[in-house]
Amino acid sequence: MIDVKNLVKVFTAKKGVLGHDAIEAVSHMSFSIPGGGALSLIGESGSGKTTVGRILAGLEVPTSGDIWIQRVNVMTLPPAERRTFLRQVQLIQQDPYQALNPARTIEQSLEDPLKVIARERGKNGAWIQSRVHEVLLRVGMDPGSVLNKYPHMLSGGQRQRIVIARALTVEPKVLVADEAVSMIDVSLRLGVLKLLKDLRQEFGISLFFITHDVASARYVGEDGQLFVIYKGQVVESGPTDEIISQPHHPYTQALLSAVPVLKGLEDPGPDRFIPLRGNDQEQVPDTACIYEPRCPFAQAKCQKERPVLQGAGHAYACHFPVVRRVVATMK
Amino acid sequence: MALEFEARDFHPRGMQIRDLHVIYQTNQGEIPAVNGVSMAIAPGKITGIIGESGSGKSTLAMALMNAVPKPGRIVKGSVVVDGAGDMLTIDKKIRQKVRGRDIGFVFQASQNSLNPLIRVGKQVLDLGRSHNIKDLRALLRRAKELLERMGMDAERILLSYQHELSGGMRQRVGIMLALVLEAQVVILDEPTTALDMISQASVLEIVRQIHQERHLTTILISHDMGVVADLADNVVVMYGGELAEAGSTEEILAHPLHPYTQGLIRAIPRISGPLDQAIALSGSPPDVAALKVPGCLFASRCPKRLPKCENSRPIYEAIGSDRYVACFRGTEHD
Repeated sequence: MIDVKNLVKVFTAKKGVLGHDAIEAVSHMSFSIPGGGALSLIGESGSGKTTVGRILAGLEVPTSGDIWIQRVNVMTLPPAERRTFLRQVQLIQQDPYQALNPARTIEQSLEDPLKVIARERGKNGAWIQSRVHEVLLRVGMDPGSVLNKYPHMLSGGQRQRIVIARALTVEPKVLVADEAVSMIDVSLRLGVLKLLKDLRQEFGISLFFITHDVASARYVGEDGQLFVIYKGQVVESGPTDEIISQPHHPYTQALLSAVPVLKGLEDPGPDRFIPLRGNDQEQVPDTACIYEPRCPFAQAKCQKERPVLQGAGHAYACHFPVVRRVVATMK
Repeated sequence: MALEFEARDFHPRGMQIRDLHVIYQTNQGEIPAVNGVSMAIAPGKITGIIGESGSGKSTLAMALMNAVPKPGRIVKGSVVVDGAGDMLTIDKKIRQKVRGRDIGFVFQASQNSLNPLIRVGKQVLDLGRSHNIKDLRALLRRAKELLERMGMDAERILLSYQHELSGGMRQRVGIMLALVLEAQVVILDEPTTALDMISQASVLEIVRQIHQERHLTTILISHDMGVVADLADNVVVMYGGELAEAGSTEEILAHPLHPYTQGLIRAIPRISGPLDQAIALSGSPPDVAALKVPGCLFASRCPKRLPKCENSRPIYEAIGSDRYVACFRGTEHD
C-alpha cells in the first residue's frame, strides 16, 4: 500500500537576472491506495499528473511532503537505500518503444533486472529462465515466439505488455501507469487495461493510474478512487463510480463531456458541453479559482476567492457545485 | 464574416474511388498496402475511415491526393473528385492546384507538418502564392476568421512559430491551412491522436461546425471507433488494406455485421453501462506474411470463423442500400 501526505513540487525556472519564476506543479496532494486498490489521476496535458507519478517512482524529489510505502517513510531513507526500496514502485510510461532498448532482445531486456535479484537471493540461471517465462505468460505473451524478438518486431500493445512483464520481474507493490495505453491502438488498449486490472487482484498491487481518459480510469479502477487535477490542484476527488455519476466540478464535467458519444448506441447526456477553447497557459491570480478563465459557469465570486477542496469521501473545490448530466446513456 | 463565403457556389463534391491498389516495395517483396478499394464518398457528408495501425488507412488517404510517399506506389485504380477529374491521371500541374484549392489535407500529427522556421502567417502567404492567389490580404483575413472561429487569438497565432503553440493549437492551425483556400473536400488523418480528451473534443466540435457551415465533404481517418462514431455520418472499416464493412454510422454501431467491426465496438471502454460489456479484441493486425494468405484476412482473430474462411477470401459486396460487408456470414446478426 501507499500513503502520500501533502505532496508539493515546485519547479523554479531561471528568469535572467531578475530572479526565479516558481511554478507549483503539484499542490498539497494527499491520498492513499490500499494493496490491490486503484487510484486514477485524471487531467489534461500540463496538469502536473506526470510529475506526481515521477515522484512516486523516485525519479523526481518532492519539494515537501511524505510518501509512505508499506509503512516505511520513503523520504527519511538515505538515498542509496531509497533507490533499492523504490524498486517496489514500477513506472510504466506512455511510449513502450522508448522504454525498451531497441538493440536488445525481449529475453535480454527481461533478464537484466532478474540478474540483480538472482545475485541478491543466491539464485541461478535456471531460476532466471523460469521467471522470464512466468512473467511473459502472465502478461499474455507466448515466450517461445517473443523471446528472441526485438522491440520493433512487436505491435504497440505487445511492447507495452513486455514493459509490464519487465516491471513484474521485481515483484512490485505499486505500479504507476502514466498514460500507459494512449499510444496503443484503441482496438488493443482494452487488453492492456484488463491486464493492469487483473494484476491488482492477483498480486495485491496498488495501481496509480494516470490518464486523460475517464473511460480507461473507470475500466481499471471502478472500485477505486478518482482524483481530478487541474494545474496541479485537486479539483474533485472521491470514489470513481460516484464521480462519474455525480460530477460536481465543471472541469470534471468537461472531461466527461469530452468522451465521444457512440452514435447509434448512445444518446449524449442532456447537459453535455464541449469547450471550444483549448488549455490556456495564462496565470490565474492566487485569489481566483484556477478554473475560472475556462469555466462556462463562473460567477463574480469565482474571481475573488479561490475555493478549497471540501467534503468527506467525495470532495470538490467549487463555489457553485451543481451536478450536470453530461454522461452519455445507452439507447 | 460569413459574407465572403456566401457568394461562393456551395455544391458539395463527392469522390468515387475505384479498384485502388497501392503497393510498398520492400526487402521482403511487394506489400499490398491498399488492395482493391472501391467506395463512393458521399458529397456533403463526413465519412469516417477506421482501421488499426498498418491497415492501410493513411496510405489510402495519401492515395486520394495522389501523394503516396516512396517506396509506395499506386499501381491501379481511379480517384475521381467531382469537378476536378481523376487525381491519378490529371496533369501534374493541375493536380498540385487541386491539392489545397479543392482538397484540403490535415496531416497526422500536425505538429510536424508546420514549417518550424517561419511564422504561421508567412506560411499562409506562401500557400497563397503557390496557388497564384492575387488578393493575399483577403487570404490573411480568411485565415484570421478561421482561427477566431476556432476560439483562438488570431493575431497572436499568425505571428507565432510552431514551437510556441500547444498540440491542440497546432492541430487547429493545420485545419485552418487546409481550409483557407476554401477547399470543399477535406481529408483529416488522425486529427486528434496526440491530443488529450478535452482538446480532442473541441477539435472534433470545430470540424463538425465548419463542415456544416461550409457544406464540405469531409473524410476523417482514425483508429478510434469512438471518435468516428461521434463525428461521422458514414463509417468505412478497413482491415489489412481491404474494406471489411461500410454503412451509416447508426447502422454500423447498432448492427455491425463483420466480426471485426463487432470486436472494435466491444473493445471501447465506456463511462456508462456494465463494465464487463467491454471485451478486448484478441490477436494483432495481420503482418506482411498474413496478407498473402488465400483466406479471409481476419480469420485468425475471428471468433465466428467457418472452415471455408481459411481457404477463400470473402468478397466485399453490397447487402442493402449503402451497406457493404466482406464476410461469409454476411447478413447474419449476433
